[in-house]
Amino acid sequence: MEVHLDRWLAEFGAPPEARLSARDLTELLGTLETRYPRLQGKMRDDAGAIRRFVRVFVNGEPVDGLDPRVTLGPDDRVDILHSIAGG
Amino acid sequence: MARPERVVLMVGTRKGGYLLRSDAARRRWKVGPVIADGSDVYHLTADPRHPGEFYALANNDFWGPMVYRSTDGGTRWREAPTPRLPRRSQRTPGMGPPDASAPARSVRNLWHLTPGPADQPETLLLGADPHLLFRSDDHGRSWTEVRGLTEHPTRDRWNPGAGGPCVHTVLLDPAHPGRLYVGISAAGTFRSDDLGESFRPVNRGVRADFQPDRYPEVGQCVHKIALDPKNPQTIYRQDHCGMYVSRDGMDDGWTDVGRGLPSRFGFGVATAEALPGRAFFLPLDPQSRTTLGDGLQIYQYTDRDRRWRPLIRGNPFPGRHAVHREGLAADRLDPAGLYAGTTTGRVVWSANGGRDWAMLPYQFPAIHSIEAFVDGPNR
Repeated sequence: MEVHLDRWLAEFGAPPEARLSARDLTELLGTLETRYPRLQGKMRDDAGAIRRFVRVFVNGEPVDGLDPRVTLGPDDRVDILHSIAGG
Repeated sequence: MARPERVVLMVGTRKGGYLLRSDAARRRWKVGPVIADGSDVYHLTADPRHPGEFYALANNDFWGPMVYRSTDGGTRWREAPTPRLPRRSQRTPGMGPPDASAPARSVRNLWHLTPGPADQPETLLLGADPHLLFRSDDHGRSWTEVRGLTEHPTRDRWNPGAGGPCVHTVLLDPAHPGRLYVGISAAGTFRSDDLGESFRPVNRGVRADFQPDRYPEVGQCVHKIALDPKNPQTIYRQDHCGMYVSRDGMDDGWTDVGRGLPSRFGFGVATAEALPGRAFFLPLDPQSRTTLGDGLQIYQYTDRDRRWRPLIRGNPFPGRHAVHREGLAADRLDPAGLYAGTTTGRVVWSANGGRDWAMLPYQFPAIHSIEAFVDGPNR
């Protein structure tokens, strides 16, 4: 699948776009963290939960956390972005 | 000829960290580029065992906590391994939460980094939220949770303070190898005599006005403690419920010394090597948590006669200010440099032990912490 990372996340050593394969979002994030170790701890916390201001979209639709019911296939597109927040 | 810039003031703010440099006269400061821009930098410190090594603890709203390290005196910074808790599935049986249904934990904020003893140059200690202490014995490449503290039998009586459930103070006693003090909000102070293998609470005599039992074993809201540099058995404490002194490594309990001050509430306390037997506090209004009256005032406490003295003459810094728990510091030069970093983003300092004061003409973001590092000998 096609994975697009926010430019801030890409600063942690990952390319802004990558082609990866994974069955679900947990596996995808694990693959990203293994391949780009500086991403560890950035997208999800130590308990494995998606960080509060990180947003995941599958084919343009927002996903609530790491919903295990969301399965991924080779034609999917995943966007991992930071949300509008802060001040 | 100008004296070399060897005093480094390390300022952690709501939006990044800064290094300010001066020579030993400390009249003018050069403000360096921002470190970890956009992140809350709770603490910056130098590791005097490794010349040129600095650490910054950054807590980013988006990407979580991160340790940064510089090995070239603060010019270049790189992300270093950050202490993390293992995921529950990776925890060793019996070593994680006893109940598998217990809420999963994650490191939320990094609060304070303390270099280990001189004879253990690879050891670092790091206090974090929620109620965590980590130790590294490989120069920060990996971190281990200090379970002697984090699984302390009193832990179910610890509560969060307004800043979260944080281990915010980690102090080594230079006169007693292995002795370590930690300050936890709101659990109180704990002492270890085996560099963190085991801890015992040391809060006797400290009030907890917010609890039914006013003098509990644990649960006090310690804001900051500072060791007397010449006699580290004497320790000064700014607590939510007053200013205290202990004179026997906390074994003798704590004596309330806040009488006579306009307020016993405050966050910071600092001690200076050139001014033994004294401590510096910045009392705040307990309701608004801002300075009392119409300006910034720092008080010197002298332990010999238990006297308090306001140090800032007149009212050169009018308005309402506040400092966080790490917002007061001193350097180790003689005469002593004293520093306050305010939540309104200003640095106020004295280069002569508190006789004269000035405000740095630079607007920082809200300041969380300030620490002074002096490279080289004392004079």
